[in-house]
Amino acid sequence: MKSFKIIIGCLATILLLMVVIPLLRMILAADPGILKTTLTEPEVTQSIFLTLRCALWATLVCAFLGIPLAYILARWQFPGRSLIQGLIDLPVMIPHTAAGIALLMVYGKKFFMGKAFGSIGVSFVGTEAGISLAMAFVSLPFLVNAARDGFFSIDPRLERVARTLGASPWKAFFRVSLPLAWRPILSGGIMMWARGISEFGAVIVLAYHPMTAPVLIWERFESYGLKYARPVAVVLILLCLIIFAILRGIAGKQREV
Amino acid sequence: MLRLQDIRLTLGDFRLHNISLHTKPGEYMVLLGPTGTGKTVLLETIAGMHQIENGRIFIHGKDATCLPPEKRNLGVVYQDYALFPHLTVRKNIAFGLELRGEPRPKAKEAVEKVANFLDIGQILDRRPVNLSGGERQRVALARALVLEPYVLLLDEPLSALDRSTRDRLRRELKRIHKELGVTIVHITHDLTEAFFLADHLAVMKDGNILQEGRPQDVLKRPRNRVVAELLGIENFIPLTMGTTGGLLSPVGPIEIPPAPVYSMESPKGFYLTVPGWCVEVFPQKGKNQYAWTGEMKILAVNFMDGHLELELGHSSGQRLRTSLSKREMEALSVSFEIGESLSVALLREGLHVIPRS
Repeated sequence: MKSFKIIIGCLATILLLMVVIPLLRMILAADPGILKTTLTEPEVTQSIFLTLRCALWATLVCAFLGIPLAYILARWQFPGRSLIQGLIDLPVMIPHTAAGIALLMVYGKKFFMGKAFGSIGVSFVGTEAGISLAMAFVSLPFLVNAARDGFFSIDPRLERVARTLGASPWKAFFRVSLPLAWRPILSGGIMMWARGISEFGAVIVLAYHPMTAPVLIWERFESYGLKYARPVAVVLILLCLIIFAILRGIAGKQREV
Repeated sequence: MLRLQDIRLTLGDFRLHNISLHTKPGEYMVLLGPTGTGKTVLLETIAGMHQIENGRIFIHGKDATCLPPEKRNLGVVYQDYALFPHLTVRKNIAFGLELRGEPRPKAKEAVEKVANFLDIGQILDRRPVNLSGGERQRVALARALVLEPYVLLLDEPLSALDRSTRDRLRRELKRIHKELGVTIVHITHDLTEAFFLADHLAVMKDGNILQEGRPQDVLKRPRNRVVAELLGIENFIPLTMGTTGGLLSPVGPIEIPPAPVYSMESPKGFYLTVPGWCVEVFPQKGKNQYAWTGEMKILAVNFMDGHLELELGHSSGQRLRTSLSKREMEALSVSFEIGESLSVALLREGLHVIPRS
């Protein structure tokens, strides 16, 4: 028993160190002076808030559309279900620059969908909407899969009993299924938001400007070198760490209830 | 109160075949059948959870075939009770009342009334995860009963409980039925449960209702061997048609009870069904009470909880099983040894003839 605990503890620690060491190294190597200056730079703060905002929009829109899809995948049996499941997972597998090109081809000004959105004043090239779209495309599997697993883990008989107690399908969904799947959905939402924040490949194809934090880090690295790229990265990491710790804390409290 | 007329349903590989049933108001109907026979599917079909291909469902005199579950006013209690884990007991019970838009004070009063009736008033603020099996069952019953359903549908409600709780709650179900007069359809595979509770018994297998009626009538006159076996009858003596037209048994002359099945054509012959209680060792009653007497050897002796099970063999190869209670064993004051010969008789009452199919 003791050796078992030691071995799995060591293995887990190795993995944690693989994550923690590069982050710590980057944070500790940052020049405090430059870090302070970076924090007050409007270009940096605007880019970070733009990133957080766009990732949040992407998550909220995907939650609105993805939760019904997750419910369908968890509850309904129909031909082509596996194909849809595969399609949902596809954005994780394909190179994100390729995803960006695919999105540009559909939502750009040459295709009818891009034109249709353009006619109502919505453009996805070089706009916040484009950034959100790129983030949503590449990170939606995190939310949909987590929500699907959440619904799948709920005994369908709970919904059936709710129906016999007088609940319509909508009420059974909102009063039984959704409250019970809330925790995995929140967890998937956090993961999707996080993945959206870090997105670079798809975003840069659709919208180099306005500049998200990953694009800004890349641009500073290309133009000025590591010394000036690192503080932006450090600020983004620290901010994300704080936000995710708070959100995970909320999700954890949900678990205890 | 509940009438099913030619219900047909296909669900994957499973089918319900032209099910027709009728329960009277205030009746306790038990659907008895082995696991995987379609009892739960039938119950869910009554509740409106599956679309039927054919037939009609009448609830409280009205055609409810096309009504969704929420419009049927039926209470459902599942085997594992399906309590909402995110709600307290109070909120579980009040769930349906809230959906009906009952005013809060009235809903509170109704919840407390049903909780007191089922003796769960002290656990109203707990969550289902913190309840025992028996408490969960009472909460599930309270949640269904508080809405005063036309029919209460119980899906093996005692199966998940330990033996003592099951025995207690079986009596409790009888009390609830008696005091509230609610019509109940209860599905189970447990014979004791079925005979203890049923006013009306329906025997089901492979999506078919094989036989229905008053429990004592069904037990006395099972329609075929499958029903007899489901009712716990283990002894079947094959009967063949003799040259003179009478029925012959391998154990010799036997008084065959008159039965309407004689008129049936059964080219494969018949079986005499012999419930275990009809097999008497060391018969002591008057001769006219027995249809057959003879010698049999003890083939096996099994000591069970509270009784002794004997497997007896006739020289013809026919085997019979019976059991003796502790009191009967003490009264006989004999030891049962394997290979020993015994005087055995078959009580006339309880014997029945079924076609051999």
